Amino acid sequence: MNALATAPSRIGLAFRFALRDFRGGLRGFGVFIACIAIGVAAITAVAAISRGLTDGIAREGRVILGSDAAFVTIQREATAAEKSWLAARGQVTPVAYIRAMARAEDGNSVLTEAKSVDLAWPMFGQAVLQPAMSISDALGPKDGIFGAAADQLLFTRLNLKPGDMITVGEARFQLRAELLSEPDKLAGGVGFGPRLLMSEAALRATGLLQPGSLVRWSYRVTLPGDPQEGEIAALIDGAKQAFPEAGWDVRSRMNASPQFARQIERFTQFLTLVGLTALLVGGVGVANAAQGFVDRKRPDLATLKSLGATGAFVFSLSLMEVLTLAFFGSVIGLAVGSAAPFALISLFGHLLPLPLTPSIYMSELVRGLAYGLLTALAFSSWPLGRAHDIPVSALFRDMVDRDGRWPRPAYIALTALAVAALVALAVAFAWDRRIALIYVASAAGAFLLLRGVGHLIMAGARRMPRPRSTEARLALGNIHRPGALTPAVTLSLGLGLTLLVALGLIDTNLRNALTATLPERAPSFFFIDIPNSETQRFDAFLKEKGGDVSIDRVPMMRGRVVAVKGVRAEDVRASDNVAWVLEGDRGITYSASVPTNSRVIRGEWWPEGYRGQPLVSMTRDIADGLGLALGDEITVNVLGRNITAKLASVRQVEWRSVGINFVMVFSPNTFAGAPHTHLATLSFADKGDARREAELARAVAIAWPAVSSVRVKDALQAASDLVAQLTTAMRGASAVALVSSILVLAGALAAGRAARIKDAVVLKTLGATRRQLFVAYLMEYGLLGAVTAVFGLVAGSLASYGIVTQVMRLPFAMSWSVALISLAVALVITVGLGLMGTWRILGQKPAPYLREL
Amino acid sequence: MLDRATHPAIVLDNVHLTLGHGVSRVHILKGITLSIARGDAVGLVGPSGSGKSTLLMAMAGLERPDSGRIAIDGQDLGALNEDGLARFRGRRIGIVFQSFHLIPTMTALENVAVPLELGGASDAFDRAKAELDAVGLGHRLSHYPGQLSGGEQQRVALARALAPDPAIVVADEPTGNLDEGTGGQIVELLFKLKRERGATLVLVTHDLNLARKCDHMVRIRSGVLDLEPAEA
Repeated sequence: MNALATAPSRIGLAFRFALRDFRGGLRGFGVFIACIAIGVAAITAVAAISRGLTDGIAREGRVILGSDAAFVTIQREATAAEKSWLAARGQVTPVAYIRAMARAEDGNSVLTEAKSVDLAWPMFGQAVLQPAMSISDALGPKDGIFGAAADQLLFTRLNLKPGDMITVGEARFQLRAELLSEPDKLAGGVGFGPRLLMSEAALRATGLLQPGSLVRWSYRVTLPGDPQEGEIAALIDGAKQAFPEAGWDVRSRMNASPQFARQIERFTQFLTLVGLTALLVGGVGVANAAQGFVDRKRPDLATLKSLGATGAFVFSLSLMEVLTLAFFGSVIGLAVGSAAPFALISLFGHLLPLPLTPSIYMSELVRGLAYGLLTALAFSSWPLGRAHDIPVSALFRDMVDRDGRWPRPAYIALTALAVAALVALAVAFAWDRRIALIYVASAAGAFLLLRGVGHLIMAGARRMPRPRSTEARLALGNIHRPGALTPAVTLSLGLGLTLLVALGLIDTNLRNALTATLPERAPSFFFIDIPNSETQRFDAFLKEKGGDVSIDRVPMMRGRVVAVKGVRAEDVRASDNVAWVLEGDRGITYSASVPTNSRVIRGEWWPEGYRGQPLVSMTRDIADGLGLALGDEITVNVLGRNITAKLASVRQVEWRSVGINFVMVFSPNTFAGAPHTHLATLSFADKGDARREAELARAVAIAWPAVSSVRVKDALQAASDLVAQLTTAMRGASAVALVSSILVLAGALAAGRAARIKDAVVLKTLGATRRQLFVAYLMEYGLLGAVTAVFGLVAGSLASYGIVTQVMRLPFAMSWSVALISLAVALVITVGLGLMGTWRILGQKPAPYLREL
Repeated sequence: MLDRATHPAIVLDNVHLTLGHGVSRVHILKGITLSIARGDAVGLVGPSGSGKSTLLMAMAGLERPDSGRIAIDGQDLGALNEDGLARFRGRRIGIVFQSFHLIPTMTALENVAVPLELGGASDAFDRAKAELDAVGLGHRLSHYPGQLSGGEQQRVALARALAPDPAIVVADEPTGNLDEGTGGQIVELLFKLKRERGATLVLVTHDLNLARKCDHMVRIRSGVLDLEPAEA
């Protein structure tokens, strides 16, 4: 029989032997299984929750959109022709969104996200009101006064209760109910203020619907019966052909919230990478366990070789055991990870604002299993490869020592292959492959660097002059001797800490950027929807009421990019970081001069009084991301009209100034005569204070009911709150990686315990006191923890510096609290875990051990 | 020199073997030439560090000589690669260790079946059972090594070494870890089985009485043979 023909039976035999070996229990494999399980659980949980959300959005598309298709116009109502075309094809329910100030009787006001609906709303799903009542009861007029329902936040902010009155624009409303949930909330996007629900008639009565005011109309069309996706697509195509200039943003129930879906995908990728880090950290535990296995099984494996087993057979047998355990660990991880969305729903289901549909996804299970098994293979092939060359002669000489030799090339190749497969898997399923590749490269770099740091520490300890103190000498000896904890501590804890520091610093810098550094230069207020005809009067009003203030004011419209260089927006292949420009509508403006806080870096600004073809100036990142060169054309739909403009210049913008700035600035002749409103910012010369801000807001709300005011501090707070929610998820994920680090460390400590006990017993026999031993261990663990912390701090700071300055383009500031906390975490973990084990060692009586030595 | 065999089971021709590297390099076997006839029992004696265990390992194909030739049962070991050696060992060489080296997670029956399974025998367990019966452990088939006494463990090891019906059996201090009485029983059993199977036996021991039970006794001193006929 040739080798090929006998291979299956050899594998069967190796598997049989492996199973027999499990009778001896899983000693030494607890950490191995836990490491694989934790990593796989993290990745699977992220995937399962993300898929649950994506599926929920897809499945609940009709509810989220409130119809089969929605045709959204900006700053204008649909024309009669458009309305009748849609009405001929299905039931049309118009919904309008506008920002508006709600003013209480006492003069206090708050910015709201107003939404008008007809009385058939919602077509799908249910709106929950408290006290419970029908939509017509809540919103319809009673005694000539309109009703409204609002988020609880509005009641709180204005100190109101159901039944109280508010004024919006020129109309008065009775707040009849709290709006606990609205089924189509996701389709409306995220807003700054609380929702205020009113009828369409009431919205018209407010007088806010002026030409050019920033209203968004969504005409929702529900087709008769149970329409198939093809029918909806046909409706959308028909509408686009019938009204090519409508410039509407069309959504179907199959694609109800693309932005939200994108956000989920992006966040999923990020958390998956963090999960991978947990798996990578766990990999160190896997490698340690595999090495421990080979050390422990040396006599048995040598015996098998003496009985005729080949080196390859001994390796396959060991690999079978490791992979079987990895499978076991992966299955635990898959079970825990898959249970996560179900647990989330059962624990927090009523609080979740998202349509999470938990389910078991076969493809995610397979992927999680692949991650688990490949990690085991990648990290165990190298140490297990050494089993191939275990000398049988060891059985005769009783020299069962570790060897640090490299395994044969075949096992190095297998390791490389497994690593490549792991990388391919991570990159293939990444949302942004570039980021995934950068991550892989950084992780590999950190891994190698930490290995190097471990070796350096050991070499340094070996070469150091002998300290005079016995304890220090013992500690140094423990750091560099064969089988020392040093590599395990630096690698596993180092990786976990690097991640922790990087995330902590990114979080701190992001929040600083939003709350701490910006307000210095940021204005106090944004004012939206200032009527074009009353801008001078509004400026004068602000100056009169605000005192020494500076006002910056620009015309503002909303527009949607419909084509880039003649290619339809939906067909444009934009780079990932600018794709958002092509989704939905953007604020646009026109200006005779270069806006403040920006400078032209390519091309030229249009001359004063320019009258030719419409020109546009774009910010650099967007122009580059869309592949636009000077002279290229971009078509934007504004107020139902397609405008094609030529790229005349590219600007560099200082976004963090929170001043007014737009991605696209057009030449003034482009929009001559088009109805629009203005956007203004107001800064107090002396930065102002809360009291004066409140007074001004109140004065504007009373005198200019149609103008919405946004306090920058509130907006930044809202953004900061959002960041806080995201970073909580990030911290949760990085905590998983840290748990893996702790496990790996505990495993390494446990593996070395027998040798430590032996040493301690010998030292005690030779006269060492418990105090001396304790101090020696304390020094050893403290030194290792401190060096690892310093490395984690440096590597994590460098990584976060790169991300903050290069990806987020924010200034970087070192946070010493993050540094100190990381240092403390490292010391607590190493010293704490180390001494926990040592306590038992110190108490050992020498005699029983000496008898066995 | 042992020259009575026309078809020797073991032939060593000017075998040199060094172990270790650099300054710790030690020349252990210095030109060993030896021929052992089929069915003979040879006792290998010598002081600690004289190279007897290394010689035994070289015969079992566990150490490769630096120079010289080793042939077992007509097979030149130098012509076999590592895997070939392992397979040859599994079929033709039985090894008995001082510390038994049974696999603790396998039963007595499974331990004895291992070389047969590795050799691809379809009746591995039937033959293993017969071997255990032969060493008087037919009633201990499903016991694990931890549940057996030292003598019983060495009997399992004997059964395992003889199970593939090897041409030669090498034993390294087989009674070293046993009390005198038990050691004696094991030796009786070893010689009985050897006689029944017609196997060639090479025995490393410190015990001159045990060595004298062999057909020949070979002394080794500082890696060089010092031959004398057996007294028994």
